[in-house]
Amino acid sequence: MRVVLVGFGNLGRGLSRVLIQKASFLRKSHGLIPRVVAAVDEFGAVVDEKGLNLTRLLKVTKKAGTVAAYKGGKRGKLAHRVIEGVGADVVYELTPTNIKTGEPGLTHIKRAMRAGKHVITSNKGPLVVAFRELDSLARRCGVEFRYSASVGGAVPVVGLAKELLAGNEIREIRGVLNGTTNYILTRMSTEGAPFEVVLREAQELGVAEKDPTLDIEGIDTACKITILANSLLGMNARLGDVKIAGITRVQPEAIRLAREAGHTIKLIGVAKHGLLEVGPKLVPLGHPLAVSGTLNAVTFELDLAREISITGFGAGPKETSSSLLGDLIDIHRTLGG
Amino acid sequence: MLVRIVMELEDVPGQLLKALEPISRFGGNIQSIMHQRERKTPLGRVPVMLVFEVGERARLNRILAALRARGVRITQLGEREGAVRATALLIGHIIHTDIRDTIERLNALKGARVSDLSLAMGEPGQESAARMTITADDERRVNLALSNLQRIADRKKLLMITSLEAG
Repeated sequence: MRVVLVGFGNLGRGLSRVLIQKASFLRKSHGLIPRVVAAVDEFGAVVDEKGLNLTRLLKVTKKAGTVAAYKGGKRGKLAHRVIEGVGADVVYELTPTNIKTGEPGLTHIKRAMRAGKHVITSNKGPLVVAFRELDSLARRCGVEFRYSASVGGAVPVVGLAKELLAGNEIREIRGVLNGTTNYILTRMSTEGAPFEVVLREAQELGVAEKDPTLDIEGIDTACKITILANSLLGMNARLGDVKIAGITRVQPEAIRLAREAGHTIKLIGVAKHGLLEVGPKLVPLGHPLAVSGTLNAVTFELDLAREISITGFGAGPKETSSSLLGDLIDIHRTLGG
Repeated sequence: MLVRIVMELEDVPGQLLKALEPISRFGGNIQSIMHQRERKTPLGRVPVMLVFEVGERARLNRILAALRARGVRITQLGEREGAVRATALLIGHIIHTDIRDTIERLNALKGARVSDLSLAMGEPGQESAARMTITADDERRVNLALSNLQRIADRKKLLMITSLEAG
């Protein structure tokens, strides 16, 4: 299977490492031999239809800061040309998220689909901005479109609902979908330290970004709720439809009051018909959503199975590769490989 | 309020109907009837447990008076007031936005009241947190009280955190 990597940041590199590590497993267990025929980043691209040496690509990129430094690589804005021009089966769209325009991911995905290529993405931007459009474009173009890694990191939220729970009507989805805020709330709860102090600690550990606004204001969770509403509940939701409250006003005293009543405070996203909402909620201690640290957790309320909850790591290049690779294997199977 | 009574009826036809009529006449809403035939009294009377909802105290008194007037013997009477509880947290300038007014507004709703309040004061100028328990006669009233509280919180710029399971 010929693969193009668009975006070679944390996730692109993490996926490459996993492809190296799992090459023989993929061949033996799934009959799948992924061949990365091109890699693109914001500075340039490299193409080799025989397949790039991923170990060398990682090494070169680490040193030079761009895939263009690989033998035969070119500098410049080359994403569109590569996506359309290079013969490939699957395009991985792994560029950074822009929730306002969806770009550059949105254009990358559209061009890939129109060029008859299957698309796997972790990028929330295009999904939040244009889910319906992309979903129907994929169908019109007759290509597969997978986005497991966009919600829940390693936690198979979309796959579980679409595949294994396919016989159920989903009444409600609730979840802890942002590891950064869950880490902050957990530390406030265990250490009693003020919000600002814990946030700084999270930034030093790399758990929170330099600009943590999207996380702590609940916007990242709202993006994921939008994606779940569209992909699993068949809605046509926009980010603006989600009622959002973040965690910036939550201090350790509030968590202590909650604990005294047998609860903890979690940033919960809720998706059901008639209600899309993100905000801090009281969660009973011991509840499946009362997960600590950077964990993510999702509970589905279903007509047959009643309640199903899953939990796991919501971020990290290796963990997220689990979803990215799972999507590739899924497409391979869907196509009868 | 929810009322639970146990009365003893003679074991002859028509007795139950006689006992139920005043309840609906004075606006009671019957939720369950349980005949306890196996616990017949030595005098041959059958205990019947009734649970009904009634709007206010005065109506309940009228119902009880009517039952007694018909010769129905009431052996147990219990109000199931405050059957449902909900907890909510408020974060913001709780004192400065008049907590007493917040509570009074909530208590104005019949069948619901603030039954517990814990405060954690912030540093001067900082926001405080309060945990409030609302006790109500039934689910409907507790939800009504919570949506009232949400409106008050919005107006006073307080962040309200409710339970995952609420509403």
